[in-house]
Amino acid sequence: MAMSLSCASSTFTSIFNHKNSSPTTSITFNFSSNSPATSISSLRFNYPSCNRSLNSYSIVPKLSQTEAPSVESETGAETEATEFEQVQPAEQTLTATEAKGEEVFAVVMIGGRQYIVFPGRFLYTQRLKGANVDDKIILNKVLLVGTKTSTYIGKPVVPNAAVHAVVEEQGLDPKVVVFKYKKKKNYRRNIGHRQPNTRIRILGITGYQDSPATTLP
Amino acid sequence: MNKKEVFKLAKGFRGRAKNCIRIARERVEKALQYSYRDRRNKKRDMRSLWIERINAGTRVHGVNYGNFMHGLVKENIQINRKVLSELSMHEPYSFKALVDVSRTAFPGNKNVTSTPKKEGLSMLV
Repeated sequence: MAMSLSCASSTFTSIFNHKNSSPTTSITFNFSSNSPATSISSLRFNYPSCNRSLNSYSIVPKLSQTEAPSVESETGAETEATEFEQVQPAEQTLTATEAKGEEVFAVVMIGGRQYIVFPGRFLYTQRLKGANVDDKIILNKVLLVGTKTSTYIGKPVVPNAAVHAVVEEQGLDPKVVVFKYKKKKNYRRNIGHRQPNTRIRILGITGYQDSPATTLP
Repeated sequence: MNKKEVFKLAKGFRGRAKNCIRIARERVEKALQYSYRDRRNKKRDMRSLWIERINAGTRVHGVNYGNFMHGLVKENIQINRKVLSELSMHEPYSFKALVDVSRTAFPGNKNVTSTPKKEGLSMLV
């Protein structure tokens, strides 16, 4: 965990102040206990400057290279994404937002699977081809964003929302033994399989402020 | 597989199946066959678990699972059942927002909104 931070921070120290601790396992998220004005519970990480700076950081040309991996990995889904963005402007119905707290989560689709994502945590996904270690990646298929006061529901995608992440490691899943056997026919196949995966660390969730949202009680 | 690998896979088996190679080999082969089959079954079981959880979560708000999913489909919301079940457990306000969206899209539930009647000892609660 500390090793990966040192690799990432070598290139991005000027912008990201990593005040990270180890990622926690519980996902409890008490809206009722925290008012929007107060700051964070111990479960979450502070990115007070990072959310704003991420928007400006996206102009850096390096990100244009790293957007390619997130696009390549969703080969079949990519054609759907372009269709979705045409459908969205026709369906805007909900009211405007309130001020958000730092705690925010998103539902993002990577590699055909959907994950609930929090800033500062890492995630194992399908192998993203063409992504090297310490590449910044922007994930565009954000299906839902939730903050302490409002929820932005995408139909199907929240417009202009992006989840920024760093590729930490390209490894393999633990080995699975695929054993095929037919009785009385002398047929046995013993094959081991390790599925390639990619570990990405989520940096922040941006760009959802403009879209309509439901405000929570 | 040689004997060492067989015994490694036979840890925790009952009786002679963890100690004697002839029996252990049979049980290990059976165990691997079951794991192959169950890797496929796990996907089915998890989906039905998610559906149960979503059903429970939506019925709290007076909507049943069928109408909820129909409303989501109408609104072109493509969140899958795994994430919906997680939201229903851990993010109750976001889930309620989804239920409201679905209810406005497909109000099929006017008769089901009453709370279930308590019978027997639960009447005391």
